[in-house]
Order: sequence, then C-alpha cells, then structure tokens
Amino acid sequence: MEREHNNHYDVIVIGGGITGAGTARDCAMRGLKVLLVERHDYSTGATGRNHGLLHSGARYAVTDHESAVECIAENMTLRKIARHCVEETEGLFITLPEDDLNFQSTFVQKCNEAGIRAEVIDPALARVMEPAVNPELLGAVKVPDASVDPFRLTMANVLDAQLHGAEALVYHEVVDVLIEQNRVVGVKLRNNHNGEERSVYATVTINAAGIWGMLVAQMAGVKINMFPAKGSLLIFGHRVNNMVINRCRKPANADILVPDDAVCVIGTTSDRVPIETCDDMRVTAQEVELLLAEGMKLAPSLGSTRILRAYAGVRPLVASDDDPTGRSISRGIVTLDHEKRDGLAGFITITGGKMMTYRLMAEEVTNLACEKLGVAKQCTTATTPLPGSEPVAKTKKYSFAQKAAQGRHGTLDAGISSGDATSDALVCECEGVSVGEVHYAVNKLHVHNLINLRRRTRVGMGTCQGELCACRAAGVMCDGNAQRTINDLAGFMNERWKGMQPVAWGDNLAEAQLTARIYQRLLGVDRLASERRVEYYET
Amino acid sequence: MGGGLSGLTAGIALAQAGKDVALVSAGQSMMHFMGGSLDLLGSDPSGNDVYKPLEAIATLNSKHPYTKIEDVSRLAGVAKQVLERVGLATTGDTTVNHWRITPIGGLMPTWLTVQGMATVADPDQMPWHSVTLVNIINFLDFPTKMIAAGLRDRGVQVDVKAVTLPELQVLRQSPTEMRSTNIAKVIERNDLIMKLADEINAQVGKGCDMVMLPSVLGIASGDKASQLLRLINVQAAYLDTLPPTLPGVRMQAMLRKHFTALGGTFITGDQVTGGVWEGDELKGVTTAKLEGDVLKAKHFVLATGSLASRGIVADYNHMYEPALGVDIDDLGLDRTTWAKLDVTEAQPYMEVGVATDAKLRCQRNGKTVANLYAAGSILSGHNSVKLLDGAGVDMLTALQVANNILNQ
Amino acid sequence: MTTQTQTQNVSVNNFEQCLKCSICTVYCPVSAVTPLYPGPKQAGPDGERYRLKSKDFFDEKALKMCLNCKRCEVACPNDVHIGDIIQAARIKYSTHRPSLRDMMLANTDLVGTMASPFAAIANPVLKLKPMKAVLHGVMGIDKHRTFPDYSSRKFESWFKKEAAPTQDQYSKHVSYFHGCYVNYNYPQLGKDFVKVMNAVGYGVHLLEKEKCCGVALIANGMPKQARRQGEVNMQSMRKAIGQGHVVLTTSSTCTFTMRDEYAHLLGIDNHDVRGSISLATRFLHQLIEKGEIKLAFSSDYHKRVAYHSACHMERMGWVSYSTRLLKMIPGIDFVMLESQCCGISGTYGFKKENYERSQAIGDSLFQSIKEAAPDCVATDCETCKWQIEMSTGVPVENPISIIAEALDVEKTVEINK
Repeated sequence: MEREHNNHYDVIVIGGGITGAGTARDCAMRGLKVLLVERHDYSTGATGRNHGLLHSGARYAVTDHESAVECIAENMTLRKIARHCVEETEGLFITLPEDDLNFQSTFVQKCNEAGIRAEVIDPALARVMEPAVNPELLGAVKVPDASVDPFRLTMANVLDAQLHGAEALVYHEVVDVLIEQNRVVGVKLRNNHNGEERSVYATVTINAAGIWGMLVAQMAGVKINMFPAKGSLLIFGHRVNNMVINRCRKPANADILVPDDAVCVIGTTSDRVPIETCDDMRVTAQEVELLLAEGMKLAPSLGSTRILRAYAGVRPLVASDDDPTGRSISRGIVTLDHEKRDGLAGFITITGGKMMTYRLMAEEVTNLACEKLGVAKQCTTATTPLPGSEPVAKTKKYSFAQKAAQGRHGTLDAGISSGDATSDALVCECEGVSVGEVHYAVNKLHVHNLINLRRRTRVGMGTCQGELCACRAAGVMCDGNAQRTINDLAGFMNERWKGMQPVAWGDNLAEAQLTARIYQRLLGVDRLASERRVEYYET
Repeated sequence: MGGGLSGLTAGIALAQAGKDVALVSAGQSMMHFMGGSLDLLGSDPSGNDVYKPLEAIATLNSKHPYTKIEDVSRLAGVAKQVLERVGLATTGDTTVNHWRITPIGGLMPTWLTVQGMATVADPDQMPWHSVTLVNIINFLDFPTKMIAAGLRDRGVQVDVKAVTLPELQVLRQSPTEMRSTNIAKVIERNDLIMKLADEINAQVGKGCDMVMLPSVLGIASGDKASQLLRLINVQAAYLDTLPPTLPGVRMQAMLRKHFTALGGTFITGDQVTGGVWEGDELKGVTTAKLEGDVLKAKHFVLATGSLASRGIVADYNHMYEPALGVDIDDLGLDRTTWAKLDVTEAQPYMEVGVATDAKLRCQRNGKTVANLYAAGSILSGHNSVKLLDGAGVDMLTALQVANNILNQ
Repeated sequence: MTTQTQTQNVSVNNFEQCLKCSICTVYCPVSAVTPLYPGPKQAGPDGERYRLKSKDFFDEKALKMCLNCKRCEVACPNDVHIGDIIQAARIKYSTHRPSLRDMMLANTDLVGTMASPFAAIANPVLKLKPMKAVLHGVMGIDKHRTFPDYSSRKFESWFKKEAAPTQDQYSKHVSYFHGCYVNYNYPQLGKDFVKVMNAVGYGVHLLEKEKCCGVALIANGMPKQARRQGEVNMQSMRKAIGQGHVVLTTSSTCTFTMRDEYAHLLGIDNHDVRGSISLATRFLHQLIEKGEIKLAFSSDYHKRVAYHSACHMERMGWVSYSTRLLKMIPGIDFVMLESQCCGISGTYGFKKENYERSQAIGDSLFQSIKEAAPDCVATDCETCKWQIEMSTGVPVENPISIIAEALDVEKTVEINK
C-alpha cells in the first residue's frame, strides 16, 4: 500500500488543541513524518476555554493521587520548557468559615504524599501575601500553582513541531476516516475555507480531537463512551489577585480564581451536556450567578469588579472501558489502542487527561505510535525548551509594547520588527499589540482572520474588546477585498459580543453601546457586511 | 444637564432667547465619535436605506421621540441654522438624504454633512472617476486599503498615497498618540498647511478628479481645514477617520464657544448628583463639585445621554436614571432580555430611556414634573444605531424642549 | 451579599470605568507636544492594568512628563481619575531620588524663608546672566525663567504688624491659608484679600501653623515630606474650624491639593476638614447668592479682563464662581478664554528639560490672549500668572485683586453693616 510519498505520513494527528499540538511535536522530535490537522483554528476547543491554571496537583491530591502526581511533575517541567507561557504566581488553598478546617490537615498530608510542597500559613500572612483574598479565611495553604497561557503553549508546540519537520494544516476538517482491511490508512480532509476535499495517508492516525474525538472515532466505526461536561468561566477586567486562590475542600463549582495576563478568571461550573450542543456553548444567567456568588467568597471584591466576558468549554470525560455501565468516569489520561481494543489497526485515541498533562499524554501516545512504527527513539520533550522559552538576558529597556510582546512570544519576539515608527505603532492599546507584532503573527503564526490574530496576540482581548483595534488590525491586514475584510470585522465583533452578552450590564454594557456607536453608526459594519454570523469554531 | 449635542443645542436656543442658562457637563461628549455628518433618519426599522427622511419619519411608531416634535421639517431647518450661526456650514436638507463615506469605505445615508467632507448624492452613481486617497504616513486610524477597496467596488479608480512632514514623523514616534486630533494640533501649531498642501499636490497624478484626505485638521475651528482644501490643485474633501473624529470634536467646541459667547455658563467636568424637590416640582440640582451649593432654576433640561454616556445606568438588577431618579421606560425588559445574541441585531437595551409626556416632560414616581424636560438620546423609544437618527433626535428634541419652555 | 453584587464598580481611582474612548487624549496638553509622553490613556488606565501584573511595566521617565494638570480627568465622561492613576503610580513605584534642583524647587517655603531677608540681594542676583547660567547649567533651571521676585517683607510679617490687631473688631471671622506665593513673592494679593474680607465684615486670621501645601513636593517625588506638611496643615485647620472658621485661600492649586490630592495621593485623612477649605471667590459668591453680603464697585473702574481657567480650578469645577463674580463688576469688559493649560504646571516649566515643551503647551493660550487684547488676564493660579506674564507681557491678576481694585470700600462697608 505504497502511497505517493508526499501524501503519506508516519503519523496524522487529528486536533489542533494542546494535546494534538504536543503530540505532533513529540512525534516530530522523534523523527517521524507528521501531519497535524485542525478543522478550525488552534486551541478552539477545551484548550482555549479553561482557567489557564498550571495546577500544582493540589486540587486532586485528596481525591485522585495519580493525577496529583502527574500534575506536579508536569508543573515543574512546564516551568522549564515553557517559561514564556507560564507565570509563577503560586497559589493558596483557603478555608472559609463555612468549610471544615479539619480538611486542611488531610489536604496537606495528601499533597506531601504526592510530592507537592504544601505549606500551611497563617491567615494573617495570607491576607498580606494576597490582599484580595476573603479576609474571613480561617486557614491557608500555599502551593506551587501558577498561571499558563494555553494559546501560547499550543502555538509554541506547533512551531516546534514544524521546526522538526512536521506539517500543519488549519481549517482542514476530517470528514472521513479511510479504512482498508481493518486498518486505518488515512483520512479525508475538507478545506473549510474553500470546501475542497482530499485524502491524506499515514501508518498511524492519532485521534486527539478532545470531545469531538468521539465523533472521529465514530467515523472509524469504533465507539468511545464520552461525556461532554460543560464548564463555564468569567473573565474580570483586571487582576484582582496575583496568586491563584482555591478553596481548601473537595473540588466543587467555581472554586478557583486565576490571574491570567492582565485579567483574572473564575470558574468553573460543571454540567453534562449533549454532544450536539458542544459546537455552540453559551453561558446561562444561572451559571453567571453561581460563578459570581462563589467567586465573591474567594475574593469579595469580585462583586464590584467589572466582568469582561463569560465563556464555556467542554471537558472530554471518558467512561472507563472496564465498566460496562459506562458510569464510572476515568479522570486520568486515556490512551486507546484501537488495534488491541477494537481490532482496528493504525488508529489510536488519546483523550481524558487535562491541559496540564498534555505533554505526558503526548509522550504516552507517541510511545505507542513509535512502537507500532518500530521506532526506538526516546522522548525528549520534557527537557527541550519550547521555542520562545529560552532564557533571556535582561539588559534592554523595553517599551510597553515590547515588554508585552516579549511576554507573549518569549525570545521569538526577535522576529517582530521594532524600533521604527511604523512597526512600533500600536494597533491594540489595551494589550500593547504593535503593527510589527501583527505582521509577525500574520506571517509566522497561521493567521487567516482577525480571530486567529486575537488568539496569537491578544488583539481585542483588553477591556474594550476591540473598540478601535479590530478596525486598525483589519486595516493592516486588508488584502484589497473590501467585502471579505468587512465580513471579517463583523465576525470578529460578533465573536467578542458572544462573550460579553451574558454579562451585559454596567460598564460592559456602556462599552458595548459605545462600540456599537463606532462600528455600526460611524463605520457601518453591520450594514456593509454581507455575512456576519460566525460559526462556533470562530468564537 | 449634559454637554453633548442635545444639551448644547437646548442651551444655545434658550440663551439666544435671552435666558440665563447654566450647563453642567460630565466630561466631553459622544460627539467625539459622530464624525462630520448628522443623521435625521437613515434607515427604516427593517434596515432599509431611507431616501426621503420626512416621509419615513411619518411612518415611525408612536414611541419614537419624533412623534413629540410639533413640526419636524421646520425644526430641522432651525437646527441647520443653529449650526450655520455657530460657524458650521453644512450640506444637505430634509427633502432627501445624501450619502457619506464611512471610515471603512462604505456609503451611509445622512442628513447634514459639514462642508469640506466628501459626500455622494446617489449611491449608485459615484461622482468621481479617479480618486487619489492621501493618508498621513503611519496614521493607523484611516484604513486606506479598506476605503480604496470599497470605492473600487463602486467603479472608482483609486490611487492610494501617503505623505508626511518631519513634524508628523516626530509625532509618530509615539506608539499611541498619532491620533487625528494630535495631528491637527501639530499641523496647526507649526503652521504646516502650505507644506502639507505641497506634499499632497506632488502626489496627485493626471486625470485625478478628487483628492480624499483623512479629517486631521480643524480642531477648534474649520478655518485651517478649509485652507488646506483650497490649496490643493484639484477638488479635495475630507473623510471621517476612526475616533476621535475631528469634525465632531470641532462641532462640539464651536457649539460650546457659541453658548458661552451668548452668556451661558458652562460647568464642565462635573455631574448632577440629585434634585431639590418641592412636591412635584424641581427647585434645583446639586452637583458633585459644587457640593452644598444648589443650582436653582425655573426650568431644567435633562440631556445626559444614553447608557454609553451614563445618562442611563444598568446594573446587575435594573436600569435607572442616576442624576435625578426620574422614571424610565424599561420596556418591560429585565437583564436577561436587554441584549440579543447577535450583536448586529437591534439591541433592546438601546431603546430604554426616560419616560416623557407629549411635551417631553419627565416623570417621577409616575407623576409628570412640570418644569423638567428631557432631550436627546436619554429619551426612550428609539435606537440611533439602527435607525440612524441620533443627531436628529438630539437636536430636534432639544429645540422642541426649548420651544416648550419659551412658550410656557 | 447577593444584593450588593455588581451594583457598583469601586475600582481604585475608577480605573476600570475607562471605556477606552480616548477622549482624554484629545485634551492632554503634553502628548500634543512630545511623542515621548505616552498620553493619559496609556500612562493611566491602560498602563495600570499591566502595572497590576508587574511593576516592570512602570515607566518612570514617561510618567514623569505628566503635568498633573488633570485636564484628562475633566474631559473624561466616565469619571476616571486618570491623573490620579498616573501620580499614584509614580508614588508607588518610583525608585528615583529627587535631585538637588528638584528639592530646591519643591521646597518653596524653605527657599522663600532663606531668600526673603535678602530679597534686595537675591532678586537682582537671580536675574543676573551669570547666575542664570549657573542655574541653567549646574542646577537645570531653565535660563529663560525669571524667578518671581522675593518680597523683602513676608506677608506674615506684614499681617502680624499691620492687620492682625484690628481683626477682632469684626463679628464674623475666617482663617486664611495664604500659601507660599503670597507669603514670599506677592504679599499684595494677601493684602487685597484682607481688604475685601474686611469690607464685607469679616475678620481675617492666619492659621496657627502653615506649611506649604506640598504640591511641588508631590510633583518632584517627595511624597513623604508632603505628607508630613499636609498633616501639620490639617492640624492647624482643625483648630480653626473648631473655632467656627472657614479656611479660605486665594490659590486654586493649594486648595485643590489640600482638598483632593491629600486624600487621593498622600493618604491623608482630611474628610473632616475638606468641606471647610474653600476658595475666596467661591466663598464670596456663596455669600452674595445667599444675600448675606453685597459688593459695591467704584464707577470709574474700567478694564477689559480675560479669564483664564487654571487647570486645577477647572478640575475643582469652580471656574463659574470666579467668572460670575468678576461679571458682577460693572466696569469689566469680560472675555472668557478657551480653557487650556498654560504649560507651567508649578515647577515643571522651571526645569530646563521641560522649558520648550512648557512653552509649546501654552502657545495657543498665549495667542488667544494676544488676540483678545485685554488690559489684564484674571486667573486663580499663581504659577499661571508667572507663565502668562513672561510669555505675553500682559499683566495677570487674581480675581480677588481685581475685586479689591474695583471695590468701593466705603460704600461696601456701609451696605454690609
């Protein structure tokens, strides 16, 4: 079954989330010929829709020792290999009057057993270390939580995979899994920009499509029992806290508050939802209420802090294979060798797990792929820094935009032209995104539209949600097609609104009306756009 | 109360009639985003372009503020005269809308446009064959590629050019502050009009019958802006930029200057914090800055604007009018129904505003307040983003309120 | 707890209320003349979001260029305290130690105390070319600047000897915070104030202890000393207020500093004093409105007066008190100047690195003054006076001095009896 050489890969990885990107990187670093395919943009699924928390593992210490051990190991690894994606904030687990203070000692003991440094501190000290914390706390434990930017982390993995020879296609959706004699030999792809279809082939096909992996498996004729679990979160307008704040109790709703970049995020809720709804998740008023009520217990000032957005992701929970009722959920990493499990060769599913453990998931699945390919290379992803995270000497005095860009791209910021008036001009003033950075993203980071640009650079992610910057960016990116540019702009504004609408009151609603005055009344974007509905994948 | 288009219009009309008027303004107004055109009615409720605004106004529903204007046509004429007296000559009238070119190169129907701005009488027939679009080098708030693409789609040949001067290059050394208004300040302070004209003329090729420029001149008056147009060898006109939009900034400055010249007292950077009531009558208002002092008057006009101007406030529980606590017309909406999912749909929250009687008088606890009127975008019952009626409602309701006060 | 949820935003200095509308940038006098200043939006709320993340985003050099004129705050439709955000960031993050020059400029009362006894020597010396060269080169004080003359007799000395003994004869009383300028440079304004107040039946008293309000200390990076001085002033004022006095000033900047900057920037608790500190023009206007006093003006007074709204006067929102008061003088041909910054901003314009910027900022104001061709400019701020007089040659007076000059004292005393 020799295919044309340029159409045949050792491995096809399906899914441009963090797991797929990490897997593509690992495979490529072990010398495999890899193709990564993503139906929309990178990190559009659960990867881009979580807390951005670099778990210490403490959250799982009491209930799931194995996950806790994995988390702390990966936590330490990512601090080294993904320095520019991680901010070392540290975290607190606080006990409130309504909580059982006895839980604290169990918690600390279990953390220690998992190898997580957990230090009981005086509530008074906790109030000093993190002034935003609920002052009524009875107890506090300090753990090595941190914050991580999943968009950056995914992109860094893709870039490194490409540096090691991998190919990557965004907006290419798997529409069929090609099977010959009980073996998956490749997939049929549809280009979601122009609708063209073509087939690509590989010895091993890895399904890393998150919750949508169950649909991919379906195409291959195998069944995976998955339970989509919706988790909603709220983004606040600025950093209220500088340390991660958790509740010291068994994991529950809305008990983690994470400082991410210039904002902070409270979450999550957890509700089973049907798979059909996963492509259009909306946050309900009840979820907002719950997140706020619980969030205010962690940091009371959230009650008077502006909320920028609400968003929801879907966790890919997997039923254990050994439980025929399908009720028992496996919380850990699930690697399904479909050859062994279903008699379907050349097909592996990697799922379960969490963003935190993506590298470990990638390692496991790549080990299996290598085994099937007869390749005996060792995994080196835990010790090789991702592009951008190499150490930098702090010498130069940087401008706001340069500092912000360095925070986003690490040492890759060398690829951003700067130092001249043209490049340094700011497109996005809230987040310090320069013209140079926009050009860099368009040229180097797979940017096809404004929403892609936002994921790479934070354009439009500040408190105004794109009030001027979206149009400036559209002006910089315009390729001469007026209608396409205006439609892109309309789509971007609608995508921003999707997150604002569930929290549309106060300053946010005033901002929305001002933005409508500018984009609709002054510019006429709504009247001029021929198409403004954006599909879920773009939101 | 309110230093925007409606507050200033009412203030001028009343000061002109010899009243002693004090105007309290909480900072600068929405005029900074309105560009160089004023809309009367540009769109019908279904989103179709309106060609003859008076005819379309006659079909508006009974909640629309225009239904409280005695003679729309006459007051629209008065509004145009007010602008003219202030020194703002405009093109356009109520018989037929003309079209402005938006900062992203589209055409939108409008009522009046400040002279010197590019306008089109018939959207299907562009009056120019060959346009030279000249930007200031590195000025980001004028997306020439989009404007050019939009004009080309309408069959116009477009050359995109950019010019600069050393002083403007200095300005661009700032990553953020090369804004339309700062460009105007630099050009006007250093008297660079002639030099700029030379640079622009050097870019104009043969056959060009229209030069289009970003609105980056004329911050306090339109003199310098007109001067530059006269110095350009072919017909030339300005287009609106991204905010701050200079023609709007200028319009506000000139209206305010006119108001103070008429003897009006302009209290800026302050806001009304409450009313002093005697029964159902408003005796005076207190402000944040004047502290204990009460501003007493016979009549009051509430023109503090929409939600975006904080004339109306929405919190987690409800919407309300924060300055005097007058009744609002919440249209039976609650937080979950304020906003629709698609941003480009007509958003219900935008129609929430203060409730008024036929004379545009406010209500408090369900009773009409005899000496308190409302004007402009604080009024309920219209969506200026969708109907393109913002400036018309602002000016006409303000003039009507002034009439109602003067006729009392 | 739930009822309080999301009903009001209470972010520090309202920085979260910023809708990113960029209106403030239109009214910033500094960014219009130098690209090195990032403008109020960037330096203020935008920068603050990132400074909350990391102090690495604090840019001392850029933020130092802010005049603290607060015109951004006046322009802001959303009540964001942009200037306060910038100044608070300087106080919080600055590691810079003030230079000798800055210390000298900031310590207005110390320098004044040293110079006054030697005014006869100091004034000519400070004007000598070689001295100016030294100041320019060594000290960094711009050579174009003329130090305001130091008076040979401090206002306090004059007051104690000439005015104090007669003040108790009045039935009503106020305390006077004269400020450094009146004390060392221009006692005439203080004398004018006493004249007007006495004419309407008010006795004037000095505070037990008065220190410089500290505005220059804040601007020059000496918040600790400013706080110490502020506390002294608050103590003295509490005593005066305890005796039923209102504390009046004739300087908009001193008033603004003590009422607003003390609490916002220095963390001085002044809530019990703030309401009793007022500007003399406001006090008079209020009394006239209430019908408690009347002013009579001499019929042979005629002047064309152009009013300049000083930045902090504008920020306090009190311009209308002074202008309405001036308009009461029948002999005045009143011209309202477009409100804009004159560029001096206290000690800012004295520094040689700021001189050109300072003049460029004021340029359009100077033009409009020349066009208006007034006999004098009226303003409530003393540093505006130096700047406008130096740059236009037109004399500048405080509204109180103009009132004192136009006042028919005898008649006023008579009708207020």
